[in-house]
Amino acid sequence: MVVTVASALVAAVALVALAGQAVRGNRTVDAQLSARAVHDASVDDAFYACLDTQAHSLVRPGQSVALGGDNLADVVTMIKGFGSWITVADPASGADVVLTLHDGAAAPGTCLGTRVVGTSRGPGGRTTVRLGTGASVAGQGPPPAPPL
Amino acid sequence: MTTFVATVAAVCALAAAGALPVLAAVGLRWPTVTLAPLAGAVVAGLAATASLGFGGPLLSWFVGLAALGAVVVFGLWVVRPDLGPRHATPGTGRGALHRVVGIVGFLVVVGTCAWSLRGLRTPTVGFDARALWVMRPGWFLQSHTHLLVDMKARGLVLGQSAYPPLVSASAAVAWKVTGIHTARLGVTTVAVLNACALATAALALVECGRGMAGRVTRSWVPMAAGVVGAVLLVVVAAGVTEPFLTNGYADPLWSLAAVGAVAFGLQLRDDPSARAAAVVLILVAGTTKDEGFVTAVAVVVLVAARAIGPAGLHGERRRWVAPVVVAAGELAVLAWWPLTVRAIGARGASSTFTATTDLAHRTDATVHGMSPYLHVLVLAVPLAVVGGLLLSRVRRRVGVGNDLWAWAALAVGLTAVGAVLVASKSPIQPWILTTVHRITEFPILQGWWIVGVWAVVAAAGLAGPGDASPVVDFEATEPLPAPTVDPVGVAG
Repeated sequence: MVVTVASALVAAVALVALAGQAVRGNRTVDAQLSARAVHDASVDDAFYACLDTQAHSLVRPGQSVALGGDNLADVVTMIKGFGSWITVADPASGADVVLTLHDGAAAPGTCLGTRVVGTSRGPGGRTTVRLGTGASVAGQGPPPAPPL
Repeated sequence: MTTFVATVAAVCALAAAGALPVLAAVGLRWPTVTLAPLAGAVVAGLAATASLGFGGPLLSWFVGLAALGAVVVFGLWVVRPDLGPRHATPGTGRGALHRVVGIVGFLVVVGTCAWSLRGLRTPTVGFDARALWVMRPGWFLQSHTHLLVDMKARGLVLGQSAYPPLVSASAAVAWKVTGIHTARLGVTTVAVLNACALATAALALVECGRGMAGRVTRSWVPMAAGVVGAVLLVVVAAGVTEPFLTNGYADPLWSLAAVGAVAFGLQLRDDPSARAAAVVLILVAGTTKDEGFVTAVAVVVLVAARAIGPAGLHGERRRWVAPVVVAAGELAVLAWWPLTVRAIGARGASSTFTATTDLAHRTDATVHGMSPYLHVLVLAVPLAVVGGLLLSRVRRRVGVGNDLWAWAALAVGLTAVGAVLVASKSPIQPWILTTVHRITEFPILQGWWIVGVWAVVAAAGLAGPGDASPVVDFEATEPLPAPTVDPVGVAG
């Protein structure tokens, strides 16, 4: 008798609690589908795709790259944008191209106001600074922060 | 090729690499289907480790290791035909209902998992995913020289790149197989692996209910409870792990795999098939993230201790051999990546801990940071106490493992993560604020799985005592043979 009552109690409490939490969980998943979440994700994606394209316009195959600048956030942004394919120079001073981000106001040719800048040194020691091209995203950054 | 098609192709490639070893170890059971891609992901992780340590393309290592596994399995089946899946011990006296519940349970669990991935309709790539998990695959596909530079160059500032390789390696295989090198494909591939781990852990509850067939009078009661509980747990787990379930983070994968490992290795009846499933899940958890590594090591020890049991402690030396050999093998595989990144001097391979800062303050911040996320314990603890006091006899009769094993795993996982937070040098408050909801996924999920297992045990208590099996404490006796190692449960 005790076992039957205890079994009924435990089963009922457990299943009701699971069902209640499942309802909450379902709502959490549905929240991912909101129009705002979709918009934010699309802007985020477009921003990093833009940086990627601009970086590609500045680095030729086989060139080694250093991620420059003093701003740690910019370095992380560059890693997120094109860290997967660049050939990292070690030491950084030996890089063929130093890539940095120039954060400014929204303007044509920028990714939410940010532009990738490539600095390279020619054979005669002449420094060349080029701006990334090939993609742009209108508006002012930074993109909406995704969940950490 | 669309991302959807590429994801299917990538998961098929992973499943092909993992199918035979899982089939040989776990047998022809429903969880084998969801374990195969996970085992393939482990192979990808090992391939990445070998590529980093010895050189050579990742895909060559992946194919080579998969082929080696297949050869070993076929060789084993030739030498020992009795170990082949067709010759496995059939289940006895379980009947058509057992079979039907297996099919229904698998379909509804997989269907619910697929439905829980609907968050993928929003093309989110998480912060850490873009910065590490689905960025690093590109490194694994570069030459060995460049891979070493990527992992070692101090100028890259990314210390987390020394994290275990499974997620990035799986994405790298996806990129290489499909030719599509996008963060999105990495995210979708990881999401499907997450769903496989979730489905496997949920299927443990279905198996828990099915394992009671013949042990109670109305066996449909615990079997139905197992299916219902499994479906509810899938939805609960999706809520606990979102948005990270579908944005490329590694936390859900190791957490779900660890929960599945505890379910198969410590909560279900102790049989070779369940232990093999636990091994796969342990390797997934331990090669996915540092927290998963620590938890996996603890689960390895606990599973071995359970297999040895009190009889082993009282002098039965033969009970030590298999568990110790398996545990040693698991630990060797788990240790390979951490040893490799230390050997090459990778950036971030050495953690910085401190004993001089304000440990009391950090402990207080950690406890207060984690507490709001662990409310499931307010339910699970009293439920386990009532169950332990009043339903232990039922639990032993139906062959479910002692609840304390699962609680030990939960405690170790929670303590390990908490200890890292307390002992590290990083500022504690921002760290807690930005990570606590992810790093508590394992204890939260484990708490819910404990609740789910008690629901099935309680259902067995309502089903009346069966006369098919005596009251036996499976913790203290020889493990039973694999109960139903038949083609997807059709032997009944």
